[in-house]
Amino acid sequence: MDDTSTNTPLLSVRDLCVHFPFSRGSMLRPEHGVIRAVDGLSFQIAQGETLALVGESGCGKSTTARAIINLVHPTSGSVRLRGVEIAGLSDREMMPHRRVVQMVFQDPFASLNPRMTVGSIIGEPLAVHRLASGKDRKLEVLRLMDLVGLNPRFLNRYPHEFSGGQRQRIGIARALAVQPELILCDEPVSALDVSIQAQIVNLLMDLQQKLGLSYLFIAHDLSVVRHIATRVGVMYLGRLAEIGDAASVYAHPTHPYTEALLSAVPVPDPVLAATRQRIRLEGEVPTPDRQYVGCSFVDRCPIAVEKCRHDRPPHEPVAAGEPGHTAACWERT
Amino acid sequence: MPESLSQPDAAPSRHGEPLLQVNDLQVSFKTDDSRVRAVRGVSFDIYPGETVGLVGESGSGKSVTNLALMGLVPSPPGRVDGGSVMYDGKDLLKLSPLQMQSIRGRRIAMIFQDPMTALNPLMTVGQQLTEMTRLHLGLSRRQANEKAAEMLELVGISGASRRLRDYPHQFSGGMRQRVMIAMALSCEPDLLIADEPTTALDVTIQAQILDLLRELQERRGTSIILITHDLGVVAETCHRVLVMYAGKVVEKSDAGPLFASPQHPYTQGLLQSLPRFDQVQTTLRAIPGQPPDLGNLPEGCSFRSRCPLAIDRCAREEPPLASVGDRREAACWVAEENANG
Ligand SMILES: Nc1ncnc2c1ncn2[C@@H]1O[C@H](COP(=O)(O)OP(=O)(O)OP(=O)(O)O)[C@@H](O)[C@H]1O
Ligand SMILES: Nc1ncnc2c1ncn2[C@@H]1O[C@H](COP(=O)(O)OP(=O)(O)O)[C@@H](O)[C@H]1O
Ligand code: SF4
Ligand code: SF4
Ligand SMILES: [Mg+2]
Ligand SMILES: [Mg+2]
Repeated sequence: MDDTSTNTPLLSVRDLCVHFPFSRGSMLRPEHGVIRAVDGLSFQIAQGETLALVGESGCGKSTTARAIINLVHPTSGSVRLRGVEIAGLSDREMMPHRRVVQMVFQDPFASLNPRMTVGSIIGEPLAVHRLASGKDRKLEVLRLMDLVGLNPRFLNRYPHEFSGGQRQRIGIARALAVQPELILCDEPVSALDVSIQAQIVNLLMDLQQKLGLSYLFIAHDLSVVRHIATRVGVMYLGRLAEIGDAASVYAHPTHPYTEALLSAVPVPDPVLAATRQRIRLEGEVPTPDRQYVGCSFVDRCPIAVEKCRHDRPPHEPVAAGEPGHTAACWERT
Repeated sequence: MPESLSQPDAAPSRHGEPLLQVNDLQVSFKTDDSRVRAVRGVSFDIYPGETVGLVGESGSGKSVTNLALMGLVPSPPGRVDGGSVMYDGKDLLKLSPLQMQSIRGRRIAMIFQDPMTALNPLMTVGQQLTEMTRLHLGLSRRQANEKAAEMLELVGISGASRRLRDYPHQFSGGMRQRVMIAMALSCEPDLLIADEPTTALDVTIQAQILDLLRELQERRGTSIILITHDLGVVAETCHRVLVMYAGKVVEKSDAGPLFASPQHPYTQGLLQSLPRFDQVQTTLRAIPGQPPDLGNLPEGCSFRSRCPLAIDRCAREEPPLASVGDRREAACWVAEENANG
């Protein structure tokens, strides 16, 4: 199984579960439960590919990314990097793999140490992984700054002196320092202004071209995802509702949730907006501790049948879609 | 169920009297080393029954403009330096805090991006809803309770009379936003100011909230100022649009023409930089650079360092808003020249 031939996907996630036990209520009558933040997720990422994960707030996107690099330990399931199992490794065992997978966070304001200069922020991974020191390290930092479009004059400045977009460039340069193959981007442009978002999206795509990077790209903006993703996974309450090539999923949304999600994206074109059909979902996103035996979308699904309450729908190929496009719905596949 | 997307109806006629007239509004904040001119001479009218979108980068002055309308600019460090806000024959900027309080919530209401900062976590939703109507409309406790339940039902919260006894944390994000809307609408204001009301929500819930605002507007003729950075939301809900940049309105237009032929280079850049959900582009046409520092504005046009069309004059003189077509204005020397020959 552990062959590293070119057929082995860069990342392979199988049946990943991350459950958080919780208790609430009074001391006298405590209630115990479990939040199934990620509940049986499987997907792969090939080299050079961008898989986007989309879905409502709280559906488990960030937890998935954090579980992949062991910032939270998976409850069960497997995470293989180039065929090597990394789920549940200790921090020390994880070290060499951190050179392969890096993460870029949503909030460029919170994720950079305010007391470190830009140079030391970007150079830190080089020191930690003993990749370069002294003059070499400085040269490498300057090369990285140039790569992400930061002026080398900023080397000795502090994060608070930068705008959101520039801080995101610093975060990207830091992630690139160890020459990773896969970058997990957790909403990397959500906190940025529209006019700056395009700069960062272009940068990420340029870097992918130049360096052959792969991305797991977490986002809630489906227009950005349409632009950047080669494949898309739609999550709902810890599970994948649908996954496939971006073009195929956008052209043939099959799970009722995907369909509603895509139909609700506002388009910046009043003429087009007037001709689109929208599927209105009733009801609220359930609380995350709600447990479902069958399909987790059943409370909001406009086409649910009795079976959906009792049996969990498996992923099946979408007939109209490209190969590899699957959805989990009793009524649609 | 599929349904045709409800569009804003044709812009309500802008004849007759505007509901609210903002004239040359100026607001600044004192910082350690300078005075930040957050709003630099903003003027616009709001007519009855219309939705006006306010778009622009973060820090461009959208929220401060609306805080000033509500008499809520934090002072110090903030200060309204000039201008007028005419409403019902009075200048709101000249009212006493007490007079302003009777207008705020009653005639002009506001909903915020983060409902948790506006809702009191220690009071039930019912207490918060009835407080408003008892204070402003003089309702009895029973009448206020009935009204509160009616409002919750109106915004689509089921089991309303039971849910009045719940606390805000017992509601989901989308429901809290609806509670805020119910509160804002319970005194039937003439004007609703919604500051990024759906930014924190998911698109399916966002669609529900925007539908709700539209329905309420149709039923009651409420005017709405919608602050958002999402041009898609603007296209789907607004009759008129104000584009702000560095503390000024740089373009004013009906929504249709704005999207069809933006006049200001910033608006043009914004629309071109958007990834499109319905088509695939190779690279996005990003606007280079960053917005200027408001504490240290350059001479001339504040968009100049990012503008592909800049001419010599732009470095020397700041362009005023000028007519560039039917009910359209832009603050740009080049756009003005193109329009007027
Ligand atoms: N450490 C934790 N302890 C308990 N619950 C957690 C923890 N981390 C996440 N959760 C819960 O797991 C669920 C998934 O959270 P996650 O952060 O992965 O969502 P997300 O899809 O990234 O959402 P968003 O779009 O808001 O970022 C949520 O219900 C969240 O409250
Ligand atoms: N309480 C405050 N103290 C100091 N500066 C402020 C305060 N509120 C807003 N500002 C400044 O005013 C400018 C406009 O802010 P704002 O209206 O909130 O922008 P936005 O368009 O994002 O709503 C910004 O430069 C902001 O930093
Ligand atoms: S399995 Fe049933 S409830 Fe789930 S999405 Fe399909 S039809 Fe709806
Ligand atoms: S005035 Fe000049 S710099 Fe400003 S937007 Fe117009 S062309 Fe560009
Ligand atoms: Mg997240
Ligand atoms: Mg704001």
